[in-house]
Amino acid sequence: MATKYVGQRVKRTEDPRLIKGLAHYVDDIRLPDTLHVSFVRSVYAHARINSIDTTEALKAPGVVAVYTGKDIAEKIGPVPCASALPGLKVPDYRVLAQDKVYFVGHPIAAVVATNAYAARDAVDLVMVDYDDLPVVVDVEAAAKGGPVIYENFGDNIAYKLTAGEGDIEAALGSADRVLKQRIVHQRLAPIAMEGRGVLARYFPGEGELTLWSSTQIPHLMRTQVALMIGIGENKLRVITPEVGGGFGSKLNVYAEEALLGWISMQLNKPVKWIETRRENIQATIHGRGQVGYIEIGCKKDGTLTGLRYNVFADLGAYHQLLTPAIPTLTGLMLSGAYKIPAIQINVTACFTNKVATDAYRGAGRPEATYVVERALDLVAAELGIDAAEVRRRNFPAPNEFPFHTATGLDYDSGDYETALNNAQALIGYSKLREEQKKARDEGRLIGIGISTYVEICALGPSQAMPAGGWESATVRIEPTGKVTVLTGASPHGQGQETSFAQIAADELGVDLNDVTVIHGDTGIVQYGIGTFGSRATAVGGTAVLIAIQKLKEKAQKIAAHMLKCEASNLAFEGGRYSVQAAQAAAATGTSEPVVPVGEAPAGALPEPQTEGKSSLTIQDIALAAHLAKELPPDTEPGLSATYFFEPKNFTFPFGTHICAVEIDRDTGDLKFLRYVAVDDCGKVINPMLVDGQLHGGIVQSLGQALFEEVVYDEQGQLVTGTLMDYAVPKASQVPWLELDRTETPSPVNPLGVKGVGEAGTIGATPAIVGAIVDALAPFGVKHLDMPVKPEAIWRIVNA
Amino acid sequence: MKIEGTHQLQAPRQRVYDCLTDPQVLQRCIPGCERLEKTGENAYSATIRAGVGTIKGVFTGTVKLEDMRPPEHYRIVVEGKGTPGFMKGTGDLDLEAEGEATIIKYTGDLQVGGTIASVGQRMIQGTAKMMASQFFLALEAEAKTAVGEPPPSHGFFRTALRWFSGLLRKLFSPH
Repeated sequence: MATKYVGQRVKRTEDPRLIKGLAHYVDDIRLPDTLHVSFVRSVYAHARINSIDTTEALKAPGVVAVYTGKDIAEKIGPVPCASALPGLKVPDYRVLAQDKVYFVGHPIAAVVATNAYAARDAVDLVMVDYDDLPVVVDVEAAAKGGPVIYENFGDNIAYKLTAGEGDIEAALGSADRVLKQRIVHQRLAPIAMEGRGVLARYFPGEGELTLWSSTQIPHLMRTQVALMIGIGENKLRVITPEVGGGFGSKLNVYAEEALLGWISMQLNKPVKWIETRRENIQATIHGRGQVGYIEIGCKKDGTLTGLRYNVFADLGAYHQLLTPAIPTLTGLMLSGAYKIPAIQINVTACFTNKVATDAYRGAGRPEATYVVERALDLVAAELGIDAAEVRRRNFPAPNEFPFHTATGLDYDSGDYETALNNAQALIGYSKLREEQKKARDEGRLIGIGISTYVEICALGPSQAMPAGGWESATVRIEPTGKVTVLTGASPHGQGQETSFAQIAADELGVDLNDVTVIHGDTGIVQYGIGTFGSRATAVGGTAVLIAIQKLKEKAQKIAAHMLKCEASNLAFEGGRYSVQAAQAAAATGTSEPVVPVGEAPAGALPEPQTEGKSSLTIQDIALAAHLAKELPPDTEPGLSATYFFEPKNFTFPFGTHICAVEIDRDTGDLKFLRYVAVDDCGKVINPMLVDGQLHGGIVQSLGQALFEEVVYDEQGQLVTGTLMDYAVPKASQVPWLELDRTETPSPVNPLGVKGVGEAGTIGATPAIVGAIVDALAPFGVKHLDMPVKPEAIWRIVNA
Repeated sequence: MKIEGTHQLQAPRQRVYDCLTDPQVLQRCIPGCERLEKTGENAYSATIRAGVGTIKGVFTGTVKLEDMRPPEHYRIVVEGKGTPGFMKGTGDLDLEAEGEATIIKYTGDLQVGGTIASVGQRMIQGTAKMMASQFFLALEAEAKTAVGEPPPSHGFFRTALRWFSGLLRKLFSPH
């Protein structure tokens, strides 16, 4: 395929509407007579509900209805969990609390009123009588015993899992050194800029329900909500208008989504709920939440022999869609970028009285990468080998791919050493180390941190996925020659309207402006899986590519018929089928389109002019296909193709992040001296989008490393309930990010792409924490838990 | 969360203790207390208007006095809930005579939940200290008023004045 657009820094076609404020988020969709919902949420982390008195609330001005757990018990099914692990305990979690509440923010009642303010005011009039119950907050305590959240389960352990290959006991036994470390991966709140929001409209005549929801997975949500509220899946339409970020927090089916649909069906009116930021931090899933113990064995030369990771996963009070699956992703990625002959993960996943954890950008892989990279730093420090060198000694060589890990994966392709070398060259590694030495002699604290990460992307083969891992695309060329791409991937900030248009425009040889990418509407788009797990381009983009290839097979037949030649004599180049003669081939690229787009005469569709021509644009063929007057025998009219792409493997992007920091002895504050990232996400469709993904990911990583932490107190009260207390990074706290790339195509898909949406959150935390630990090495520091706050640093420096 | 502090009141210990156990005095002294009704032996039901920062509301609940050892000690157990959330706390008050004055040492454990916990957490300690200070200043004014005299006023201006004079006393005290 000619690459006029692919690989170019094409500006996002989404941006003008976003910049001008012309985009439509759920809250921007205003329907007449819309009722508004506000939720009564639990103020206790664990309590029995004795009674709920809605009398006063129902008398309040504007209030139309108040629904409680009793109203929905027989009407709406439990919130779905898609993970099926052996022996998994699944609580019956309903959209409104039944007799107990399990976390602060647990929805208890829904107040419906004529406007959002009336609904919110009436929430305070709903009187809930609670008896508080003993609370489980700490995940390790939950594993050991103490109060049991679900009496029918007997304990708080949702599941236990052991995985990995190789003889771990022998591997650790044969090591020259075995290093141990406790590692905390604190809970994080995803904080999408746009919170969740749902608008539901039931059409009683048609018996159809439309849900506008800020989600990453419109089709999966449609299936699940249809099952929950008992409406035909073909009577439910889910539309995701503009979505202001998800980061995994909208890769879910939430109580509010089903409940709003059901309420609209009860009241025959549109109903809307827009999440407040406080609800967002309280009742939208959290990420991470692991406490683990590393044991890493190595030889004296730094060669790794084995890694064991015993981890306690804090699932929260119930399962959202993928809650139990996240720690299993951690297990899969424990080999990192290294040859480790034996690996074992032992997961103890526990219920606690907190909101559920689930996929947050990286979803289990940042935890794994952090564990492995911290372990490598421990080895380097123990053996006195440079952190870069110890990594280099354990890399698989490029010719060892596909590389089989002791976690059971086959890495598709990689060249880890080149990425490391390039990053070292970019930052001037050896010079930096000299500067560090000199600075230390002067009493200054400079540290250098390295992370050579690998991630698992393009989720994934359906065998390994809970609800299908393929993705779909339909490509149509309309009679006027405009190209419509329908993708099942449902972007929410990734820029796929641009990148998929780049793929389509190049493959069809048309102008980028002639391509429109449509997504996020189950009434228009064929079934799809959605955008998450850095999969959209690798799986969804490939579906677009192959759908176009299918479409072109048909177009070529029609072209041959119109040009009165054999299809095999036609070549496609520059958007044009031409007779494959040496002369014609030489002429391609200089000829003009036969019917340039936008210049077609008004009124009746023009007849394609084929007389005396030796070539046709694909747009001529589209017109002919729709007029259907001159088609080859047994050819369907129209020009469109649909493809469902099933990937054969995951992809494994990788890279090296190196950062240098200096610590202020007096305040414990941190200054970034340099931040360098060399990432390899396979072939790049749009470098600007890739850079943007890395910028965002690294900043979120920096947030985890330095600032962010969801804190519950010992009573299970959420202490970090607002953005005053939950510290996301500010622009002024972000260093200049120096990005570079290597490009190792993936053999898993014909585009050669791997995925980049989560690379930043996976690669960056170990580099940042590693740099701080390195800076504090003169104080004997080997590890620090995140977020590494200035106070902790100050206490070490000034001890 | 733990709350503790010390207040010196310019009134004799027995008088202070009597005030501390008189529901009418307590109602006047507890900031925002709109109602305090006896429901049993040393047990009351109460309505208090209180808040942290912008999170304000009305709490209704119970107050119990326990472990009473006049004139040196008692424990107060408070439970309340309202629109901003709930609170639950116990406080131990120890009274020591120092000449004509009384020193009150208090240590308490406060549990809050709901909006007030998620929004106001960082300010709760400060607010609790401020309310305690208001309470003891008002209490001192009550204790200094002889039995049978009309009770002192606890309006905003009076409280501010008392706080200021208390501050001056602290600043210029020989200790």
